[in-house]
Amino acid sequence: MKKLIAIMLVLCMALSLAACAAPAAPAAQEAPEAEGTEEAAAPAEPEVELTATQKIIKEAEGMTLEELAKKAIEESNGATFYGVGNSSRGKSALPLFIEYLQTIDPNYTMEFDWQQPKNNKIFDQLTADSLKDVGTYAMTLIQDGNQIESKMVRTGILDTFIPLDWAAANGTTPDEYEGYLPLQTLNKVFMFNNTGSKTYKNCWDFVAEGEHGLYMDIDSEIVGKNFLYMLTEDTYAAYLKAAFDALDAEKQAYFKPVIDEMAADAADLGLGADGAYALAWIKLWVESYNAQTDDGPICNTLVSKSATDQFGLLVYSKLRSVEESAGVSKNNITVAAYQDDYTGIGGYGYCHYLFVTENSPLPWTACAFIAYMTCTADGFSAWGKDMGGYSSNPKVAEEVEATYHHSQGGYEDGVNVFDCKNDRGFDWWKNDGELVIEDPEYCASVAFTVGSWIEMLTKYTEG
Amino acid sequence: MQQNPQQKAGAWQIRLNKLKTYFSKPQNVVLLLMGIVLTITTVAPIVAIVRDTFVIHPGTIDEHLTGMSSGYSTINYVDLFTSRLAKANLWTPLLNTVLLSVLSCVISILFGGVFAFLITRTNMKFRKYLSSIFIFPYIMPQWTLAVVWQNLFNSNLITGTSNGLLASVFNITMPIWWCKGLFPSAVVLGLHYAPFAYILIGGIFRNMDANLEEAATILDTPRWKTMFRVTLPMIKPAILSTILLVFGSAMGSYPVPHYLGLATLSTKYVSLNSKYTGEASILAILMMIFGVAILLLNQISVKSRKSYTTVTGKSGQISKFNLGRSGKYIIAIILIIITFFTSIFPIVSFAFETFLPNPGDYSFLYTGDPDNLTTKWWVTNENITENGMYGQQGILYNDMIWHAYKGTIMVSVCCALTAGTIGTLIGYAVSKNRRSRWANYVNSVAFLPYLMPSIAVGVAFFILFSNKYVNLFNTYALLIIVGTVKYIPFASRSSLNSMLQLSGEIEEAAIIQDIPWTKRMTRIIIPIQKTSIISGYLLPFMTCLRELSLFILLCVQGFILSTTLDYFDEMGLYAFSSGINLILIVTILICNALVNKATGASLDKGIGG
Repeated sequence: MKKLIAIMLVLCMALSLAACAAPAAPAAQEAPEAEGTEEAAAPAEPEVELTATQKIIKEAEGMTLEELAKKAIEESNGATFYGVGNSSRGKSALPLFIEYLQTIDPNYTMEFDWQQPKNNKIFDQLTADSLKDVGTYAMTLIQDGNQIESKMVRTGILDTFIPLDWAAANGTTPDEYEGYLPLQTLNKVFMFNNTGSKTYKNCWDFVAEGEHGLYMDIDSEIVGKNFLYMLTEDTYAAYLKAAFDALDAEKQAYFKPVIDEMAADAADLGLGADGAYALAWIKLWVESYNAQTDDGPICNTLVSKSATDQFGLLVYSKLRSVEESAGVSKNNITVAAYQDDYTGIGGYGYCHYLFVTENSPLPWTACAFIAYMTCTADGFSAWGKDMGGYSSNPKVAEEVEATYHHSQGGYEDGVNVFDCKNDRGFDWWKNDGELVIEDPEYCASVAFTVGSWIEMLTKYTEG
Repeated sequence: MQQNPQQKAGAWQIRLNKLKTYFSKPQNVVLLLMGIVLTITTVAPIVAIVRDTFVIHPGTIDEHLTGMSSGYSTINYVDLFTSRLAKANLWTPLLNTVLLSVLSCVISILFGGVFAFLITRTNMKFRKYLSSIFIFPYIMPQWTLAVVWQNLFNSNLITGTSNGLLASVFNITMPIWWCKGLFPSAVVLGLHYAPFAYILIGGIFRNMDANLEEAATILDTPRWKTMFRVTLPMIKPAILSTILLVFGSAMGSYPVPHYLGLATLSTKYVSLNSKYTGEASILAILMMIFGVAILLLNQISVKSRKSYTTVTGKSGQISKFNLGRSGKYIIAIILIIITFFTSIFPIVSFAFETFLPNPGDYSFLYTGDPDNLTTKWWVTNENITENGMYGQQGILYNDMIWHAYKGTIMVSVCCALTAGTIGTLIGYAVSKNRRSRWANYVNSVAFLPYLMPSIAVGVAFFILFSNKYVNLFNTYALLIIVGTVKYIPFASRSSLNSMLQLSGEIEEAAIIQDIPWTKRMTRIIIPIQKTSIISGYLLPFMTCLRELSLFILLCVQGFILSTTLDYFDEMGLYAFSSGINLILIVTILICNALVNKATGASLDKGIGG
């Protein structure tokens, strides 16, 4: 047996060394092309030769939705469309898209398959698929700007397509617009159980002594880590400083030593003037939050009357499915930022981005589907009917509000029954709610500076 | 002395004839083919994962540290073992993993062993009922016990969540070490794997020759001495086999430590994978090394290649300890209560969860108001966004659940058929060539994947089959390949044990009659040992039905039932996960009953017959 093991180990090592001599993965070699994609929008840069998919995208960016739909019908009639995304609702949007195409050509048919991998597997799945000449997935709906930037865009696996109508609605053009195409912004907001006497009037209260907020583990939902990265960006660090300044002297005295202690680290990490406030808040948060597997269990906990004085940072839309019972009520929840005298950041906003895969088997159809979701209320309806998700297209957002009245989502028969469900909308959250909004490029730039610093902290729930 | 051409031709002819004779025996062909296939299926994934530790992964730590976007480097090893994060990313999870595996072994052997003794060697009452009910925790997906544990013991005061059942109804709060971390993880895994110990140790107790114990009694040896000097040494191989099986399985368990908040190599693999991809692969290799090391330790301690052969002989004389008139009832009642909590309560709890208005909302229990119960999780099929259904249709109408159910059945049937057939052939071929080194190699290499932690095997196959030429992620083909490789040992061991009990004369008589091999197998060998052989099919089927750690990285939710169940559990939608659990348990019980009725084989009668 020992001989067998020895032989196998030697064989493993020998074969792995042989494998090491093999040429590098093609995806990595294609990286310069990907950079070309990004740079295509910048007129000052020298012309870079576009790939076949990028040429289609370029052409598609000059077309209206209807023109794109015709191209899609030509390309995918009778075919099967494979999509992959972090949101399961792509599966609900696809039949609506097919219905839309059928209004142009009643004989049009298309089969579809929508996958939603877990545990960050979407990146592995897309990377593996990118190795084929013609991929399986036509497009993706994906979150986590940091990994998208470093693993998908820089490597040339995904291409950005900006629909003409979407750009117009946002007062720009596809050529002028820089960045990825967001379908929507989702918000995670601070909420607390109000069945006790405790209140949270300042974002620093969430990291005060003895507090343990419920939050998805930053290692299982990586986009949650981006929230912490974003806090170190100047705008949000300034929010934290302003909130600190608004605290009473006693509370300031508690937090001040931690902030002072962070000053050196903030300088080392190259953060701005208020960086120490951001690092202090992050340190206290990481060392105190009570990690949960998902926002669902957090919501289930907070709405229970037994969860007195507990709080969490969770996706706002989770409140939509809570059913009233003797022990559970949406009225057991207060959204921290909705309090008139609340100061500081109210939550975190992150985007679901849309991309065409570089080796997309149906690039025209992918572009048309993306345009349909971002430019029409019907296309966005799979997400729009729920609170807490805001279309990136202002016209669509308006239509959604007119249809679903999310700002009065807590009203029943004209009476305000569940105040926490009255969604104040993206603009309010961004300006008044001091929502921390994910910036993929910033996240990617600090992932191995601030990111490594965060990993050195000892998590409250570390086993 | 030089050979002339005639002599040379003669030597070639002799060699050719030897070769022809060798391959005229079907067992030799089977051994050669299986040896090649199993070497590839075992070694290729290991090579793939070793390679992955050297590859630069864009967007991860190796790219950041080397400044290269492609190519190869040893930086992952350097960083994992020497960086400031080494304690958090490697040493603490490693220590936790070893402690978890050891404790799980101890709990499963103590619980399963004592249970096996009471069932097989005493006159305790209700043995048949207890024997059937004891295997339930093995039938259920392992992490469901972890979820039941959470639902039972969580409390606002201690775990900072809403109150679980005990705190809600009885106002009892348990300490944090009871609710989270090593202790609950080890207990849950120990209970889950105790049926292994019960079946392996029970098998020996059932068949061991009572003459030895009787001899000790005649020599006036005290009972405790007989137990420690005669009985326990006899079951040593079974204990070692249990350690072998439980240690590797516990080490590769992802969901239990994940739900109960323990950082192990498995959970760390998943959490590191996005940013420290290459380093995560090193963790998978470490897990594999542990699997191999435990096999070596086992080999050394029993000094035999037949360490898995727990049934060594048969005796018609089995003496039973008399527990006394009241003792046989009292002990039975105690076990009935214990097994109620480990086997019945989780099922009742799953059923109850599917009628709660909100996940974990036990309002009904303290109000007694039936308005606080609902059937919506089963029957809703419209307005799923308005009815508090989290966008899901009720279980009876939920396409995702039933699609996953079909997928699970298909994967399980295919794995059982292929693993069962290959394992049976290996068992047959090895038994016919007991002294051959190649046969021993094939036997060992077939067993090796079982000793490797499931999550590591899954990782290895994911890496192997995600390339330009073969991309099998999220395909049933991949799950069937991985499941087959992983579960061959169930069938090969069961088949080998039964074939070794079969006298060679039986087949020889048929050979003299010039009966072809296929007919000898289907008409003589298989019918004689059908119970053991069917066990070799049954066990991969049952295990595959609720396997998660092996498949979690290979497919998405909605593809098979276990990943769907895990998805709902993670999302906190316990009504759906509990409903799926009930579906799984009912399916397994029906299959077990059907097979038992048709062939006499049964799970509780023996892993491996």
